Amino acid sequence: MNALISLSVLGIVAMLSEIFNFKKFLYSLILLGLVAAIGVNVMEWGQFQLWYGMMIVDEFTLAFSGVILLTGFLWFLLVADNHQDKAHISDHFAISLFAMAGAIVMVSYNNLSMLFLGIEIVSISMYIMASTQKNDLGSNEAGFKYFLMGAFATGFILFGTALLYGATATFDIQKIGVFVTEHNSELPAIFYAGLILIMVGMAFKISAVPFHWWAPDVYTGSPTLITAFMATIVKTAAFAAFLRLFITCFSGVELFWNQTIMIMAGATILLGNITALLQNDFKRILAFSSVAHAGYMLLAVLAMNNQSGGSLLFYLLAYSISSLSAFAVLLAVANLKGNTNVQSFKGLAKKNPFLAFVVIVAMLSLAGIPPTAGFFAKYYIFTAAIANNYVGLTLVAITGSIVSIFYYFRIVIVMFEGDESTEVTVGSNTKALLVICSVLVILLGLMPDFLIGLLK
Amino acid sequence: MTNLSWLIPVLPLLGFLLIALFAKSLPKTLVGLIASGTVLGSFIIAVSIFLQNDGTAHTVKLFDWISSGKLHIPFAFLIDPLSLVMLLVVTGVGFLIHVYSVGYMSHDERFAQFMSYLNLFVFFMLLLVMGNNYIVMFTGWEGVGLCSYLLIGFWFKNTDYNNAAKKAFIMNRIGDLGFILGVLLIWVTFGSVNYSEVFSGAEGFTKGDKVITAITFLLFIGAMGKSAQIPLYTWLPDAMAGPTPVSALIHAATMVTAGVYMIARSNILYTLSPDTLNFVLFIGLGTAIFAATIGLFQNDIKKVLAYSTVSQLGFMFIALGTGAYTAGVFHLMTHAFFKALLFLGAGSVIHAMSGEQDIKNMGGLRKHLPITYIVFLLATVAISGIPPFSGFFSKDEILAHLYAHSPVLWGFALLASMLTAFYMFRLFFLTFWGGFRGTKHQLEHLHESPLVMTAPLMVLAVLSVLGGFLNVPEIFGGNLALKNFLSPVFEASELRSFDPHIGHQTEIMLMAIAVGMAGISIFLAYSRYVANNEVPSGDEKEMSWLEKLVFNKYYVDEAYDAAIVKPLNWISRKSEIFIEKQLIDGTVEGSANFTLHLGGLLRQLQTGHIGFYLIAMVLAVVAIFGYTVLF
Repeated sequence: MNALISLSVLGIVAMLSEIFNFKKFLYSLILLGLVAAIGVNVMEWGQFQLWYGMMIVDEFTLAFSGVILLTGFLWFLLVADNHQDKAHISDHFAISLFAMAGAIVMVSYNNLSMLFLGIEIVSISMYIMASTQKNDLGSNEAGFKYFLMGAFATGFILFGTALLYGATATFDIQKIGVFVTEHNSELPAIFYAGLILIMVGMAFKISAVPFHWWAPDVYTGSPTLITAFMATIVKTAAFAAFLRLFITCFSGVELFWNQTIMIMAGATILLGNITALLQNDFKRILAFSSVAHAGYMLLAVLAMNNQSGGSLLFYLLAYSISSLSAFAVLLAVANLKGNTNVQSFKGLAKKNPFLAFVVIVAMLSLAGIPPTAGFFAKYYIFTAAIANNYVGLTLVAITGSIVSIFYYFRIVIVMFEGDESTEVTVGSNTKALLVICSVLVILLGLMPDFLIGLLK
Repeated sequence: MTNLSWLIPVLPLLGFLLIALFAKSLPKTLVGLIASGTVLGSFIIAVSIFLQNDGTAHTVKLFDWISSGKLHIPFAFLIDPLSLVMLLVVTGVGFLIHVYSVGYMSHDERFAQFMSYLNLFVFFMLLLVMGNNYIVMFTGWEGVGLCSYLLIGFWFKNTDYNNAAKKAFIMNRIGDLGFILGVLLIWVTFGSVNYSEVFSGAEGFTKGDKVITAITFLLFIGAMGKSAQIPLYTWLPDAMAGPTPVSALIHAATMVTAGVYMIARSNILYTLSPDTLNFVLFIGLGTAIFAATIGLFQNDIKKVLAYSTVSQLGFMFIALGTGAYTAGVFHLMTHAFFKALLFLGAGSVIHAMSGEQDIKNMGGLRKHLPITYIVFLLATVAISGIPPFSGFFSKDEILAHLYAHSPVLWGFALLASMLTAFYMFRLFFLTFWGGFRGTKHQLEHLHESPLVMTAPLMVLAVLSVLGGFLNVPEIFGGNLALKNFLSPVFEASELRSFDPHIGHQTEIMLMAIAVGMAGISIFLAYSRYVANNEVPSGDEKEMSWLEKLVFNKYYVDEAYDAAIVKPLNWISRKSEIFIEKQLIDGTVEGSANFTLHLGGLLRQLQTGHIGFYLIAMVLAVVAIFGYTVLF
């Protein structure tokens, strides 16, 4: 809860900086504030609070808030080198901070109205951020597309929420869960209709097939910095919300929804990975890879056991930090070459061995190859799924991850091709981000135990 | 002092790391000092531990190495009389050869790398002899194999040398497979790989137990590879491609005796298996004679010494095969002295002859290389078994044990010993006596080697002469010092095996025959190569078919090539075409191409039209409703 308060205060401070004219210090202030937020979040560990039945603070909340805050802090390190629009800096910072606050709401809701509120805070912020490059047609198109389709999905969620209320007479997710177990055999049809609609809405938010259409286009069109935010922080919040909703409310009717999600997961993994194969734009590859990773993470939801939370947490952290360092290098390369094409990475290994190393670590992790975090992320999620007898789906997931090696390693191979005369420069903040991410990726790969034990 | 034993292997390792990491910035003198100094340090520690040792075994545990399930392998050293003897030989002879190498290799541009490899080798060799379990021994065993490979192919620009290095490595791998299977079987049988637990566990087995026979047989296959016994010996003569100090250190004095050490260490297991011991005996005897006959016709100074090494290793295995473990270790030690001396002396000759190795082109070198000449003579006398030089005592002990075992086999071993005296003196006379047969250019450059090379030669010469007095038999009023020192290690085996005793008169008679035969051989060599001034032509046309057969080393390499290498190459070429290219690549690339093609199709779905996206989503929702209602 303290993390939510600190983020909101930071956001308000960012807006005030315009009025009271301390924009110069704003960036450093935010970094400090985020460190402080991580600190208070850690301090809260082990507590349990229920805020008027609307918000809940438990280990699940705190763990996922931690991932969001850490990723947010790392993302802000990336901002230093890559934020071009100096005039609106305070607005942009405020919006990103509020988006993070919304993300925290999404992982700590105990009431469907709060879930809706959190989703909308995040989504509306993201619609704006996607279109912040006003002169860029792609950015405008991305923002507009995201908004149109996002509104459509929000409609599903709202409709579903209303139907659930109609069936159970409550927005409180724990009460819904109790209702489901008590009336297991006599649930009304509108309950199931509500479940499907809310599931569809959430599937849109996590970009699961066949509700993923927006993701590749929006990820590619948005400014790369914003894409990094969407692919990491927003995805973390959406998945945490998805898992909490299904574990709390719908575990009693698992047999009703598990086949649909199973098909969705399989389709997401296969379609995401296979479509990524022939893309030539690295940003678009990362977009499809993000779709594919959503498929893997659905396995944690399907597992529905005490390993679900821990394995999803591990996966999201591993995926977020690996993606962030990939995006950071992409931004540096794109700033120099003017495009995000795979070919722009030519000769990187010779001229910038450090950046090339970072990319290799990130790609190994995303492909799930030891000794990186990505390997254990997949390992834990697969074992959790197998524990609940999803052997066939796990085999599909493994096949998908074999396919993914092709496009992840393509970028590695390109880095070692050809000669490049100009050196890519990165600022000290980005460098710090890259070092932190790579070290974390390898450290989590070597000592995965401590994180996985966090949520049981 | 025993507590410091961990320093013995660590010092050469440090030397290796220092030299390897700072090769470019260190001056040559410092490299030489570090490399020799670290080994000298190990030697001094080994000596001080030796002086304090009272025959008991000490285990020095460094840390738990592997712990998995029931498998617990400590990284620990065993300091007992046997490992002490080996430690002294490895560090002592090793130090001398390091010093020699500083002179011998001083002109090589990769001098630092060479010295670092030598240090690394000493480290692994020390692990091999110091480990208190079979896995640490195996680590050293593989490590010395690696160093041997690196050093044989040290001059890697020559393809033949590279091939020799590969051959050594591959032949050793065949043996290593046997070794590791043996270790696995030990673990399965005894539940441990620690010597103490294995040997105490072995007490529960009766003599001739099948499992013990299998274990000892598998371990012996490892020894066949490492110690160059029939049928895995062919790599050792080729290994002479390496620089001469390498031949002296690795391929004569230390690494190739690892098999002997391993069997001596496992003596309790071997004593339990008479079948394996007999097998060891026959292989050793066969190798001793076989290699000695090949040595008769070789004209390359190092090749002669290489076959001589193979033959002498055969003698050591004869000793082990008769259960005379002390005699085996004794011969290992004296052999390390005189064979290292022979190789280093040969190195000195090659150095003086500007790289010439063919004895047909030498001759008369005693005038030009007086020190080398004297030490080489001493070593030749020692290996020929003339009293009171070291080789006499150790070889005599082996022959005496063999006679007690079987007089017929003794006759064969005596033949091998005669051949040894002959080919060694042939080599000696052709190199140092008569007139010079080389080119004028070589004659002008003839020079005695510098002190840094001759000093180790002189020390080794003293050892070759006096080494035999470490274990003087009773009939000469000796006290069998080495036997008594080693007895804690071999005691248990001796209790189990019967002690074939032969009378003093028989023993003296055997000695007289052996010495007499050696004398005859030397005389024959003298009359042929000095009195008649004969020089081997090396021309196959003048040879009888038997000479041709031996000159070509019985065509063993060719036979292996035809029977194993060529069929294997044929199979791999065919499987490359049919299995690899068509079956595997076909399947793999086929599925990859299919997936890529699919990717090309699926990406067209991502049209960018919002209308299409929304309709697709609505259709999906309808489908989900339909699916859940229907099923």
